Amino acid sequence: MLKIKNLIIIAVAVIAIVAIVLYFSTTTPNKTIDVRKGQISNVATMAQLCAIDIYSEVPILDTINNKVMFAVQKQKGSISFDLENMQMDAEGDTVKITLSPEIVDLYEATEDNSWEVIDTKAIGKMALLRSDKFTDEEENALKAKIKRNSKKLLYNNGTIERARAEGSKNLQALMEKVYNKPVLVVDPTPKGAHYEEFK
Amino acid sequence: MKFKSITACALAMAMLPACTKTDSNELYQEIKSVDKMVFASMAITKTAKMESSDWYTVGKRIAVYSYDTYMRAYIDLSALQMDDLVFDEDAKTVKVTLPPVVTEITGRDMEMRKEYENIGILRSDLDSKERAEIKEKANASFKAEMEDNPMFKQQLTDAAKSKARKYFETIFEANGYTASIDFKPSNTDSHVKD
Repeated sequence: MLKIKNLIIIAVAVIAIVAIVLYFSTTTPNKTIDVRKGQISNVATMAQLCAIDIYSEVPILDTINNKVMFAVQKQKGSISFDLENMQMDAEGDTVKITLSPEIVDLYEATEDNSWEVIDTKAIGKMALLRSDKFTDEEENALKAKIKRNSKKLLYNNGTIERARAEGSKNLQALMEKVYNKPVLVVDPTPKGAHYEEFK
Repeated sequence: MKFKSITACALAMAMLPACTKTDSNELYQEIKSVDKMVFASMAITKTAKMESSDWYTVGKRIAVYSYDTYMRAYIDLSALQMDDLVFDEDAKTVKVTLPPVVTEITGRDMEMRKEYENIGILRSDLDSKERAEIKEKANASFKAEMEDNPMFKQQLTDAAKSKARKYFETIFEANGYTASIDFKPSNTDSHVKD
């Protein structure tokens, strides 16, 4: 009789412990996020001709240090040309301008959920015993790769080529208004000044 | 958009076991031809602190992250008409009326800077979803600030107007003309494009 009583006590104690462990493992502590007011860190002036605006949603699947992340990122960007450092010859009847290297800016968008992490997991040997959490350094390294891959795609899918063609056309139209005479825009690198680096 | 995310998830699940390298084919891409002349840009730093604690937690769990969001000011050159430039050949002057300066949010840093972290040995490290949550909150706060505080837009617009004047005066001067530069009034003064 005593044995059964002891067994019941032990069973109740085990169930109670399991319930407590389950409760604390599934309950997240109170979390607060405080955001400070925005501070202007830099104001820069320039004269750039922007020919293309880019918006894209990119699924990201990457592995760093035997950790896999799947995420979806919304990106915004533009392709521009520096007007202050263009070679220009306005001496003759026709103004001759050489199109400068393209400036490719690529950012994360500011729409809601522009960086959405769907899942992370550890892979390889002893994966079950290792953390699947990315450190901030790993996450930043992954994002640097994303940016490079997206730029590479812009060079390889012809977007940069299109931007240079549009930039030449727009620059010609602007300078013909300014100079009131014919303008010839020369593009020394129609596929992009950094095409070799990204192809 | 939700359907796209679900499709992307399904694709990722199928690809996960074989995953060894980055895969970033576009889910959606929009390439838009524009004719903008950008004269100024601004970086705005947002800093956010996350803290999680409860009666049963032991040790602190505090993290502070920051990142920059960028704005730019431009004029739409496609709105510049021939009669916006009035030349006086005798006086060698030109009166230029440029389209209004427009500001827009260009985007934000992909990376986040860790400013501070204090995580007790019995507490768990931050994960990527939590960092994304911090960024999301900071972004919502940034957008609210842009709507409520015209100071950012005003400072950027002033810098762009000043630079545009200098640029066009220089370019016309090189062509032998003295230029006076003015801007058409803006009809979207209170709005920042996202």
